[in-house]
Amino acid sequence: MAISDVFLEGVQAGWQVHNASLFEKDQQLEVDVVIVGSGAGGATTAEILTAAGLRVLVVEEGPLRTSSDFKMQEATAYAELYQEGMARMSKDGGISIMQGRAVGGSTLINWTSSFRTPPATLEHWADKHEVSGLSEQTLKPWFERMEKRLGIEPWPIAANANNEVIKRGCQTLGYDWAVIPRNVRDCLSLGFCGMGCPANAKQSMLVTCLPATLQQGGELLYLARAERLTFKQGRVEQLECLALDARGVETTGKRIAIKAKHYILAGGAINTPAILLRSQAPDPYKLCGKRTFLHPVNFSAAQFVDEINPFYGAPQSIYSDHFQWQEGAAGAMGYKLEVPPLHPAFAATILGGKGQVNAQRMAKLPNTHMMLALMRDGFHPASASGKVELRSDGSPVLDYQMTDFTWQAMRRAYHSMAEIQFAAGAEKVFPVHNQADYMTSLAETQRVIDGLDLAIHRARLGSAHVMGGCALSDNPKQGVTNSWGVHHQLENLSVHDGSVFPTSIGANPQLSIYAIAALFSDQLLKICV
Amino acid sequence: MPITTSKLTRRGFLKLGLVTGATLSLVGVTLGVTSWVTNQTASGFSYLRSQDIAMLKAVLPVIYAGTSNPENQPAQLAASLTMIDYNLAHLSPSMRKLTLQLFDLLTNPITQGSLTGVWGAWSAASPETIQNFLNRWQASRWTLLNQGQAAILQLARLAFYSQPSSWQICGYPGPPNLG
Repeated sequence: MAISDVFLEGVQAGWQVHNASLFEKDQQLEVDVVIVGSGAGGATTAEILTAAGLRVLVVEEGPLRTSSDFKMQEATAYAELYQEGMARMSKDGGISIMQGRAVGGSTLINWTSSFRTPPATLEHWADKHEVSGLSEQTLKPWFERMEKRLGIEPWPIAANANNEVIKRGCQTLGYDWAVIPRNVRDCLSLGFCGMGCPANAKQSMLVTCLPATLQQGGELLYLARAERLTFKQGRVEQLECLALDARGVETTGKRIAIKAKHYILAGGAINTPAILLRSQAPDPYKLCGKRTFLHPVNFSAAQFVDEINPFYGAPQSIYSDHFQWQEGAAGAMGYKLEVPPLHPAFAATILGGKGQVNAQRMAKLPNTHMMLALMRDGFHPASASGKVELRSDGSPVLDYQMTDFTWQAMRRAYHSMAEIQFAAGAEKVFPVHNQADYMTSLAETQRVIDGLDLAIHRARLGSAHVMGGCALSDNPKQGVTNSWGVHHQLENLSVHDGSVFPTSIGANPQLSIYAIAALFSDQLLKICV
Repeated sequence: MPITTSKLTRRGFLKLGLVTGATLSLVGVTLGVTSWVTNQTASGFSYLRSQDIAMLKAVLPVIYAGTSNPENQPAQLAASLTMIDYNLAHLSPSMRKLTLQLFDLLTNPITQGSLTGVWGAWSAASPETIQNFLNRWQASRWTLLNQGQAAILQLARLAFYSQPSSWQICGYPGPPNLG
């Protein structure tokens, strides 16, 4: 079956797509709007602004990889498509952070879960963070528009066995569960969303908003790192970029200077604050890069008698919010339960252990199910949070500090996950922590969970959702940007990515980013045009 | 069954804790000014140096123990080294630098013995000694050692299990054929 590579065909047909690694001399460019980042926020914005007739340039740090490059191989996908070659982690190494870095951003490698921003989150922002205009009602048309644009609907096909565990366990226990909406069209249920969709079924930015942008005359510059902005009289004067080599690792020494009427940062919630920090952008209340959130995740593995084959099928199709809002938005930290797909290398890094221990765990991979709990961080003052800092070479690193309040939620989550797994018929459950192993009874598992020393490098933690650091707020003392994403100190600069969220979302964030970027773009057109 | 840290390991940690604090700060100074380590990459590799390869050839088999038939091991070890080098090439410069600094600590004559308990050549170290070193670093209350141990294991596992030669061991049929 031949799958057409829509992006490459467009490039061959004459789209304005430029590879900065090939530049032999410095460049000076001028456009109406320059957008840094080609992921959910950047590409959504680019499509809307080009449709309105603006000359738009999208700048992407990562490489261009299209469907014919996606071979469903962990060996190359992680190195080529993820930030820092999949080695991004919190400053103390305690939390692995998975973010995409290629044309299409994290939409290229996410697992397609597409949730509307929970109303309780929006209410919390209005009540506690002085955010205006972002209510369930005002966002509704934007969610509907992006759901239609990206084929988002609850997964109509039976869940794979890995996801089915959540449904079966929750049904037995009388807990809430539901089907996950996914952004796919003609999905083949392969299970390799995290390595780039080889079938162009995932409606990532690579096959939707970016092609539309380029078809409308917008331009894309890739392998170019937005290094810094320069300022003049309260406005951004210029964006300076550095060309990267074909791997996207080292700079080539060539520079690209871009002048625009308006500048939009959408590089994701570590890289966007980093650009502002490197630029020493005005920040009178020292807010930039602070209050960065991760939805930090802990894991519980389980072995079943029957095969689960957790490497095949739609990776995420069932979730449970049973424990998400039990004490309201600002009470004890809630968590969302989902599953990750388990391919061998990824599974091995989570299951841990050395030698025989790891070998035995891995030998049972086909019968292994994994559940994860996403902590809803940022709603309570005692929540863990992070701060973006710059390393000596100017690259960003997130200093994320766990708190007792957050660990308590993780301990509850270990309990919830084990209970659901046993209720679903698991033979053995393993709360993924250095002091634990597979256990055959719920009572023993509960006892062990209660005794776990919850600390980084003991509990295995990960994150795939980075949010915050350039928070929205009408109050410049509380947020870097106003409620429409415009920088409080720089009138021709906006932020259109997950870094504008004042807290975490409490759900996988891509649809929140699409809808908010679309709404902000619409607002921006009222100013620009 | 929960795994508990043995008394021996805890004593080991205490001893290690005393030496490492001083040693690491010493290394921070000395490595900067004196070239104790060769930065020459090994032939056929872009980033791994010969001393890294000697260390990894001793450590990786301990991490991979129980995963394959003895006759497949040399080929899998060679493929893992190639894969680790490829992954180093795709790390951000900062993460690569940190990883190579970790390898420096493990191979530098001044730090290797006190930090790992392996005093002579890596090739002469017994699997038990290497196992003890990894366990001590994992159980240490010193975050840098936890982080170092996690980094070695992460590199090792990604390199091993991303190769088709490991898939049979874990019952993974590989990606579907799209024709």
